[in-house]
Amino acid sequence: MTGLERLLAALHKAKVEFIIVGGVAARAHGSARVTQDIDVSYGRDGANLERIVTALRPLKPYLRGAPIGLPFDWSAATLRAGLNFTLTTTAGDIDLLGEIAGGGTYEQLARHTVELTIFGNATKVLDLPWLIRVKRAAGRPKDLETIAELEALREEIDRAE
Amino acid sequence: MDITQFSQALIDARERAGLTQRAVASKANMPQPALARLERGRGNPTLETLERIAAALGADVSIELVSRTAPDETVERYKRDVDRTLLRENLRRSVDQRLRSLGELQLFGSELRRSMRARQAKR
Repeated sequence: MTGLERLLAALHKAKVEFIIVGGVAARAHGSARVTQDIDVSYGRDGANLERIVTALRPLKPYLRGAPIGLPFDWSAATLRAGLNFTLTTTAGDIDLLGEIAGGGTYEQLARHTVELTIFGNATKVLDLPWLIRVKRAAGRPKDLETIAELEALREEIDRAE
Repeated sequence: MDITQFSQALIDARERAGLTQRAVASKANMPQPALARLERGRGNPTLETLERIAAALGADVSIELVSRTAPDETVERYKRDVDRTLLRENLRRSVDQRLRSLGELQLFGSELRRSMRARQAKR
């Protein structure tokens, strides 16, 4: 089982409300690009924060890039106090996003998702038009190549249909 | 306005009106799943359908023809270099296969980084 499968299995097992966004979502739609982490938009209600804590605790989440030994309390209180978290775990890197530029919160993004069966679980994935939209909204030069590939992908899907 | 902007405008108008999809669909005499599809950015509504939805929301349809935004030159240049054979190959695979191969490439990438770090440490 790959790290990605373990991370997704952990989130589903704890019934976390999340949406796959970013590079893994692009890959699910058919992109050929490789990403090193999984970006997920997550619901910020208290129950969901508890579920995230339960889901990831066995995978020993820690702030990515932070010096080893830095005190980091993996708890719902920590999640409540922040918004976006870049984490490393024993199953790979995961970004927990409470809000994304040009896309908003979990609730706002949830309207623009497709439900795909991934490794046996129904999983919300940001749809292709919104993936392109949020990449454009981010406005980072490094995303231009990604946008080009996603637009080409959309053309290929339209052509196949 | 592209389809994503249209769908968002539809959602915003419905929420401003404080109505559910079911209520709007009923007033507009259309099936609720069809309205849900439009809000997800799917479908190709006729002008008559749009007018019925607008009326259900207490709004009017306004259509404006504006000059097309020029495509981003950099994106267009990059797009010419996209290897579409890879995309077509991926589209033929299942979603699980696409993500499993990503997981394997991630593993390969992390092994490569680990061995490079080990080599640097030896020097």
